[in-house]
Amino acid sequence: MGKTRSLLIISVFSSAVSVIRLLGSLAVIYLGLGWKVRKARRALEKELRKAGMSKEDARRIGAQYTALKDNAVKAIKRSVTGFRFS
Amino acid sequence: MSEKPEKKKIASEDVEELKEVLSAVSTEVPALIKSIIASVFSEEAGRNMGKAAAAFYKELKDSGMPDNVAVKMTEDYIGVFTSLGDILKRVGEGKEKVIITRGEKGKEIEEEIERRIKEKLAEKKKTEAEEEEE
Repeated sequence: MGKTRSLLIISVFSSAVSVIRLLGSLAVIYLGLGWKVRKARRALEKELRKAGMSKEDARRIGAQYTALKDNAVKAIKRSVTGFRFS
Repeated sequence: MSEKPEKKKIASEDVEELKEVLSAVSTEVPALIKSIIASVFSEEAGRNMGKAAAAFYKELKDSGMPDNVAVKMTEDYIGVFTSLGDILKRVGEGKEKVIITRGEKGKEIEEEIERRIKEKLAEKKKTEAEEEEE
Protein backbone atom coordinates (compact mmCIF):
# COMPACT_ATOMS: atom_id res chain seq x y z
CA MET A 1 0.00 0.00 0.00
CA GLY A 2 2.82 2.34 0.94
CA LYS A 3 4.61 1.42 -2.24
CA THR A 4 1.56 2.21 -4.39
CA ARG A 5 1.11 5.56 -2.70
CA SER A 6 4.74 6.54 -3.21
CA LEU A 7 4.52 5.49 -6.86
CA LEU A 8 1.41 7.62 -7.20
CA ILE A 9 3.15 10.62 -5.65
CA ILE A 10 6.14 10.18 -7.98
CA SER A 11 3.81 9.98 -10.99
CA VAL A 12 1.92 13.11 -9.99
CA PHE A 13 5.19 14.94 -9.35
CA SER A 14 6.68 13.96 -12.71
CA SER A 15 3.41 14.97 -14.43
CA ALA A 16 3.68 18.40 -12.81
CA VAL A 17 7.30 18.64 -13.97
CA SER A 18 6.21 17.80 -17.53
CA VAL A 19 3.52 20.50 -17.46
CA ILE A 20 6.00 23.07 -16.12
CA ARG A 21 8.52 22.06 -18.77
CA LEU A 22 5.85 22.41 -21.49
CA LEU A 23 4.82 25.86 -20.27
CA GLY A 24 8.46 26.92 -20.02
CA SER A 25 9.17 25.79 -23.58
CA LEU A 26 6.10 27.65 -24.86
CA ALA A 27 7.20 30.80 -23.02
CA VAL A 28 10.69 30.56 -24.55
CA ILE A 29 9.16 30.08 -28.01
CA TYR A 30 6.88 33.10 -27.49
CA LEU A 31 9.76 35.30 -26.32
CA GLY A 32 11.99 34.23 -29.20
CA LEU A 33 9.27 34.79 -31.78
CA GLY A 34 9.53 38.59 -31.74
CA TRP A 35 13.26 38.43 -32.34
CA LYS A 36 12.85 35.93 -35.19
CA VAL A 37 10.17 38.07 -36.83
CA ARG A 38 12.41 41.16 -36.59
CA LYS A 39 15.27 39.31 -38.28
CA ALA A 40 12.97 37.94 -40.99
CA ARG A 41 11.48 41.37 -41.58
CA ARG A 42 14.92 42.95 -41.92
CA ALA A 43 15.96 40.26 -44.42
CA LEU A 44 12.77 40.87 -46.42
CA GLU A 45 13.30 44.64 -46.44
CA LYS A 46 16.93 44.20 -47.45
CA GLU A 47 15.95 42.11 -50.46
CA LEU A 48 13.31 44.66 -51.50
CA ARG A 49 15.81 47.50 -51.22
CA LYS A 50 18.26 45.53 -53.34
CA ALA A 51 15.60 45.50 -56.08
CA GLY A 52 15.52 49.31 -55.98
CA MET A 53 12.55 49.94 -53.73
CA SER A 54 12.58 53.01 -51.50
CA LYS A 55 13.19 52.59 -47.76
CA GLU A 56 9.68 53.75 -46.78
CA ASP A 57 7.95 51.38 -49.20
CA ALA A 58 10.12 48.47 -48.09
CA ARG A 59 9.27 49.24 -44.46
CA ARG A 60 5.56 49.40 -45.24
CA ILE A 61 5.68 46.02 -46.95
CA GLY A 62 7.79 44.60 -44.12
CA ALA A 63 5.14 45.71 -41.62
CA GLN A 64 2.76 43.19 -43.16
CA TYR A 65 5.10 40.45 -42.01
CA THR A 66 4.72 41.64 -38.43
CA ALA A 67 0.95 41.79 -38.93
CA LEU A 68 1.03 38.13 -39.93
CA LYS A 69 2.80 37.27 -36.67
CA ASP A 70 0.32 39.33 -34.64
CA ASN A 71 -2.62 37.61 -36.27
CA ALA A 72 -1.13 34.16 -35.71
CA VAL A 73 -0.42 34.91 -32.04
CA LYS A 74 -3.92 36.34 -31.55
CA ALA A 75 -5.45 33.26 -33.15
CA ILE A 76 -3.48 30.95 -30.86
CA LYS A 77 -4.35 33.03 -27.78
CA ARG A 78 -8.03 33.05 -28.66
CA SER A 79 -8.09 29.33 -29.32
CA VAL A 80 -6.41 28.68 -25.96
CA THR A 81 -8.56 31.07 -23.93
CA GLY A 82 -11.71 30.05 -25.77
CA PHE A 83 -11.16 26.38 -25.03
CA ARG A 84 -13.91 24.96 -22.86
CA PHE A 85 -14.58 21.48 -21.64
CA SER A 86 -17.95 20.42 -22.95
CA MET B 1 -13.74 -5.78 0.10
CA SER B 2 -11.63 -6.71 -2.90
CA GLU B 3 -13.01 -3.78 -4.91
CA LYS B 4 -10.90 -1.16 -3.15
CA PRO B 5 -7.45 -2.51 -4.13
CA GLU B 6 -8.76 -3.03 -7.66
CA LYS B 7 -9.89 0.61 -7.88
CA LYS B 8 -6.57 1.81 -6.47
CA LYS B 9 -4.71 -0.25 -9.04
CA ILE B 10 -6.75 1.25 -11.87
CA ALA B 11 -6.20 4.77 -10.51
CA SER B 12 -2.45 4.27 -10.26
CA GLU B 13 -2.41 2.90 -13.80
CA ASP B 14 -4.29 5.98 -15.00
CA VAL B 15 -1.85 8.31 -13.27
CA GLU B 16 1.05 6.39 -14.76
CA GLU B 17 -0.53 6.70 -18.20
CA LEU B 18 -1.13 10.43 -17.71
CA LYS B 19 2.50 10.85 -16.69
CA GLU B 20 3.67 9.18 -19.89
CA VAL B 21 1.29 11.25 -22.05
CA LEU B 22 2.37 14.52 -20.44
CA SER B 23 6.02 13.57 -20.77
CA ALA B 24 5.54 12.92 -24.51
CA VAL B 25 3.47 16.08 -25.01
CA SER B 26 5.99 18.28 -23.19
CA THR B 27 8.76 17.20 -25.57
CA GLU B 28 6.85 16.80 -28.83
CA VAL B 29 4.54 19.86 -28.83
CA PRO B 30 7.28 22.52 -28.39
CA ALA B 31 9.36 20.82 -31.11
CA LEU B 32 6.36 20.84 -33.44
CA ILE B 33 5.58 24.51 -32.76
CA LYS B 34 9.25 25.42 -33.16
CA SER B 35 9.43 23.78 -36.58
CA ILE B 36 6.19 25.46 -37.72
CA ILE B 37 7.47 28.86 -36.57
CA ALA B 38 10.87 28.27 -38.20
CA SER B 39 9.21 27.58 -41.54
CA VAL B 40 7.35 30.92 -41.52
CA PHE B 41 9.22 33.24 -39.17
CA SER B 42 12.91 32.78 -39.81
CA GLU B 43 15.60 34.88 -41.44
CA GLU B 44 15.78 32.38 -44.28
CA ALA B 45 12.01 32.46 -44.83
CA GLY B 46 12.03 36.28 -44.76
CA ARG B 47 14.89 36.40 -47.23
CA ASN B 48 13.14 33.97 -49.58
CA MET B 49 9.89 35.90 -49.37
CA GLY B 50 11.83 39.12 -49.96
CA LYS B 51 13.57 37.62 -52.97
CA ALA B 52 10.23 36.57 -54.46
CA ALA B 53 8.69 39.99 -53.83
CA ALA B 54 11.81 41.75 -55.15
CA ALA B 55 11.75 39.70 -58.35
CA PHE B 56 8.05 40.51 -58.75
CA TYR B 57 8.70 44.22 -58.20
CA LYS B 58 11.67 44.21 -60.58
CA GLU B 59 9.64 42.54 -63.32
CA LEU B 60 6.88 45.10 -62.94
CA LYS B 61 9.34 47.97 -63.08
CA ASP B 62 11.15 46.52 -66.09
CA SER B 63 7.86 46.18 -67.95
CA GLY B 64 7.32 49.93 -67.54
CA MET B 65 4.90 49.98 -64.63
CA PRO B 66 4.84 53.25 -62.62
CA ASP B 67 6.62 52.98 -59.28
CA ASN B 68 3.57 53.55 -57.07
CA VAL B 69 1.55 50.89 -58.92
CA ALA B 70 4.45 48.42 -58.75
CA VAL B 71 4.79 49.02 -54.99
CA LYS B 72 1.03 48.60 -54.48
CA MET B 73 1.03 45.35 -56.43
CA THR B 74 4.05 44.05 -54.48
CA GLU B 75 2.25 44.97 -51.27
CA ASP B 76 -0.76 42.97 -52.41
CA TYR B 77 1.54 40.10 -53.33
CA ILE B 78 3.00 40.02 -49.82
CA GLY B 79 -0.51 40.64 -48.46
CA VAL B 80 -1.49 37.13 -49.54
CA PHE B 81 0.50 35.84 -46.56
CA THR B 82 -1.12 38.35 -44.24
CA SER B 83 -4.56 37.29 -45.40
CA LEU B 84 -3.54 33.78 -44.42
CA GLY B 85 -3.03 35.24 -40.96
CA ASP B 86 -6.53 36.74 -41.13
CA ILE B 87 -7.97 33.32 -41.86
CA LEU B 88 -6.11 31.97 -38.83
CA LYS B 89 -7.49 34.86 -36.78
CA ARG B 90 -11.06 34.09 -37.86
CA VAL B 91 -10.62 30.42 -37.08
CA GLY B 92 -9.25 31.39 -33.66
CA GLU B 93 -12.18 33.69 -33.00
CA GLY B 94 -14.60 30.99 -33.99
CA LYS B 95 -17.07 33.68 -35.00
CA GLU B 96 -16.92 32.92 -38.65
CA LYS B 97 -16.74 29.45 -39.99
CA VAL B 98 -14.20 29.00 -42.73
CA ILE B 99 -16.03 26.78 -45.13
CA ILE B 100 -14.98 26.26 -48.67
CA THR B 101 -18.25 26.38 -50.51
CA ARG B 102 -18.61 25.43 -54.08
CA GLY B 103 -21.02 28.25 -54.85
CA GLU B 104 -22.60 28.98 -58.24
CA LYS B 105 -19.31 29.01 -60.07
CA GLY B 106 -18.33 25.66 -58.58
CA LYS B 107 -21.63 24.18 -59.70
CA GLU B 108 -21.13 25.51 -63.20
CA ILE B 109 -17.66 23.98 -63.36
CA GLU B 110 -19.03 20.69 -62.03
CA GLU B 111 -21.74 20.63 -64.69
CA GLU B 112 -19.23 21.51 -67.39
CA ILE B 113 -16.90 18.66 -66.30
CA GLU B 114 -19.83 16.24 -66.20
CA ARG B 115 -20.95 17.30 -69.68
CA ARG B 116 -17.46 16.92 -71.12
CA ILE B 117 -16.98 13.49 -69.55
CA LYS B 118 -20.31 12.37 -71.02
CA GLU B 119 -19.29 13.73 -74.41
CA LYS B 120 -15.96 11.90 -74.26
CA LEU B 121 -17.64 8.65 -73.23
CA ALA B 122 -20.18 8.95 -76.03
CA GLU B 123 -17.39 9.65 -78.50
CA LYS B 124 -15.44 6.64 -77.28
CA LYS B 125 -18.48 4.37 -77.56
CA LYS B 126 -19.15 5.65 -81.04
CA THR B 127 -15.58 4.93 -82.24
CA GLU B 128 -15.68 1.49 -80.64
CA ALA B 129 -18.95 0.70 -82.41
CA GLU B 130 -17.52 1.90 -85.71
CA GLU B 131 -14.41 -0.26 -85.21
CA GLU B 132 -16.59 -3.30 -84.48
CA GLU B 133 -18.66 -2.69 -87.62
CA GLU B 134 -15.51 -2.56 -89.71
